[in-house]
Amino acid sequence: MSEHLDVRALADGERAALRRLILGLADSKRIMGIRYSDWLLGAPSIETGIAASSMSQDEWGHARLLYAMLKDLGDDPVAVEHERPDEAYASLDALDEGFPDWAAVVAGMVIVDGALTVSLNAFSRGSFEPATTRVPKMLGEEEFHASLGSAWYRRLATSASNEATGLLRRATEAMLPTTLAWLGVEDAAARTLVDLGVTDRGSQLVAAFRDRVRGDVAQAGVDVDAQAAATRGWDEGRGRGPGHPDADAAERARGDRNRMLFVE
Amino acid sequence: MHEHVYDVFARKDRGDPLAHIGYIDALDDETARVYAWKTYDEQNWFEMCIVRRSAIIPVNRTDGPFARGWKDGHE
Repeated sequence: MSEHLDVRALADGERAALRRLILGLADSKRIMGIRYSDWLLGAPSIETGIAASSMSQDEWGHARLLYAMLKDLGDDPVAVEHERPDEAYASLDALDEGFPDWAAVVAGMVIVDGALTVSLNAFSRGSFEPATTRVPKMLGEEEFHASLGSAWYRRLATSASNEATGLLRRATEAMLPTTLAWLGVEDAAARTLVDLGVTDRGSQLVAAFRDRVRGDVAQAGVDVDAQAAATRGWDEGRGRGPGHPDADAAERARGDRNRMLFVE
Repeated sequence: MHEHVYDVFARKDRGDPLAHIGYIDALDDETARVYAWKTYDEQNWFEMCIVRRSAIIPVNRTDGPFARGWKDGHE
């Protein structure tokens, strides 16, 4: 992609498009961390629980770095992190509810974390300088998430348990349509970001994502190329479908409960 | 499904000796890599590697975890 973007020279619409991309990634990372953290206890083995704990910390670290990028747009990251209502969260639709079982966690590692990595990869190669310097470390950490996701996906998909395979397939099929819509969006804001050289076109992101997950999901009998994006009710302001994370997750993401004890 | 024991070795700096820092249980090499990295992440390791315990060949001991691991892997 091109030379670095001069953020100060951005028009309002361009600034809003960049803000939407950063918020979508940051909120998704934060909620993903919460969803992983739900499995620190209750994962299939101690080692898996420890890995979930570490991945949760990774995601929160990534979210913090992404929120900090909003400073370059003149926003206050503290207000963004702690003061937005549930309805303002721009996280991926597939994270709105907690993962009900381990098969859904594994599908989330492959589908949701995979889509975030595809988006971050394009962002890291784009014209927004903070992303070119900060995102590569995130991508390095995400290699371990992908490795664990693929290994567990293969294990569940090829297990003798019809229940495990069925849960995995249903979770995968439930996550794919909204995730494809999120990655593949080509609305006005998305086109602006492509014009600015910030990221790739939605069709390119979707192609990269399909290549990434095709082999994994095929093991559960899912054809990623036959899955269509669910664009109904698309919210251009947040860059996602209708809905928002459940109240408990949003409350935890904001840190409402003990906010009065926050000392700076 | 049968889990294997993997021993974890790491060095903090390039010139340091590789030290045994612990072990993990995992079903296969791919998950073992992740479990090792995520379990023993208290240091900023220069290098970490894992070895399936059954692949370690004891030299002078016939007892202890490494000898048992080798016997288990060759029976």
